[in-house]
Amino acid sequence: MQLSKLSSLIIFCSLLYMSASFASQNNNPLRIAVAANFTPVLKALLVEFHQKTNIETQIISGATGALFLQIKHGAPFDILISADSVRPKRLEQQGLIVNDSRKTYALGQLALFSMEHKTQLTDLEKPSKHFAIANPDIAPYGKAAKQTLQHLGLWHQYKKNLITGINVNQTFAQIRSRAVSSGIIANSQLVINKLAGVVIPTSYHQPIEQQLVIIKNQGNYDFAKQLSDYLLSPKVQQKIVNFGYANHELTESIAKPLTQQGISHAKP
Amino acid sequence: MPSPDFLALVVTLKMATVTTVILLLIGTPLAWYLAKMTSRFKVIIEAIVALPLVLPPTVLGFYLLIAFSPQHLPGQIWQQVTGQQLAFSFSAIVIGSVLYSLPFVVQPLQKAFEQLGDSLLEAGAMLGAGPFDRFFTIVLPLTKASFITAASLGFAHTVGEFGVILMIGGNIPGETRVLSITLFDHVEAFDYAKAHILAISLLIGSMILLACVYLLNLPRNKTDKLS
Repeated sequence: MQLSKLSSLIIFCSLLYMSASFASQNNNPLRIAVAANFTPVLKALLVEFHQKTNIETQIISGATGALFLQIKHGAPFDILISADSVRPKRLEQQGLIVNDSRKTYALGQLALFSMEHKTQLTDLEKPSKHFAIANPDIAPYGKAAKQTLQHLGLWHQYKKNLITGINVNQTFAQIRSRAVSSGIIANSQLVINKLAGVVIPTSYHQPIEQQLVIIKNQGNYDFAKQLSDYLLSPKVQQKIVNFGYANHELTESIAKPLTQQGISHAKP
Repeated sequence: MPSPDFLALVVTLKMATVTTVILLLIGTPLAWYLAKMTSRFKVIIEAIVALPLVLPPTVLGFYLLIAFSPQHLPGQIWQQVTGQQLAFSFSAIVIGSVLYSLPFVVQPLQKAFEQLGDSLLEAGAMLGAGPFDRFFTIVLPLTKASFITAASLGFAHTVGEFGVILMIGGNIPGETRVLSITLFDHVEAFDYAKAHILAISLLIGSMILLACVYLLNLPRNKTDKLS
């Protein structure tokens, strides 16, 4: 009997401790679910954000797909900073986000990278034994890498040699550790780690629109909105580009004349 | 503000301790029942208990995530009873760990109970000892080593858990972010220095724990053989 009394005491104490830790977290910090490839950039940007706003933040880094699944099942995240636009759109369709909170905060930029030799774009024409890209079916950078190879008419040559990572971070790790000689990764990874590769023109693939959304009913809306506004401010947008993302202005300037034409047509 | 890695250590130890206590409370009667069971359904229950040994953790995690979510019945019941959401809470990772580490506690205990034999217990009953008395004065002292083994294995296996917690925990600092997930985050962030520190500490910690288990079992086995 004594043993079971002791164990029930232990359980009681641990329950008490659990509820105490719950109570202390009522004043929740801003919980940011972020795609793994943007995490280092976000961490760098949050330093200034915290200085400006004094908002406490918690970073939950993971694969966008896993974070999406968790949000769908009620994960207590205030904002999702996704590596794609598919998952944010789906959350919007399911009514899980604050209206009009879905915004593009960065455009992904691909790069060809190898640790073994200096790379140039023409290297792509002679496929090596193994070539690393992120899984095109689940990772946005993998999808764009596949589109790039298709655009160059090389997909069929590469198909059999591909080593696919669950996300672009894994692909980067595979190349960096020299387990795979070369592959296509995110340019931002090279910038952050001060490595050299070749930037792949964004015209080779559909834009990698990285979007953020504010999750509904999390009670931290004001903080989440402040972070969203901060990330979308021109100054921070320029910083994100400096971290190796594609330039918004560039793609917008291509798109702008068309829309302006459209507007002038609409107003005779 | 404690360092994130330290916070993860606290959560991990808290999770493993609570899990081990619950496992001993559930696992002991279950192991006893299985040891004494003669029905043909025994194999089915044994198979269910052993399932976490072979099942990919992500499979268990995926189904638990669905079950724990506020949209489904188990999650709803929990929310009504406790007023808190089950998925992505500390309670969720404890329940996940209990299921995941169940065979590591039940199997050693079952084996010990099976080897115990009935004669001593019958003698105890003849002398007028009740079931609880018999358990604490006969069974427990004789199977102490197995209890220590079961508790240590359950504890160590829970510390090393990854896939289930990644699915149902949501990686929340101070609540569900455990050491194994912190380690994964460091690797993902290419912070290999921090990853090495955590990995080596986990390796050494597990090594010491297992060595202690075998050390404790060593003399007891010898005396068992002598007697």
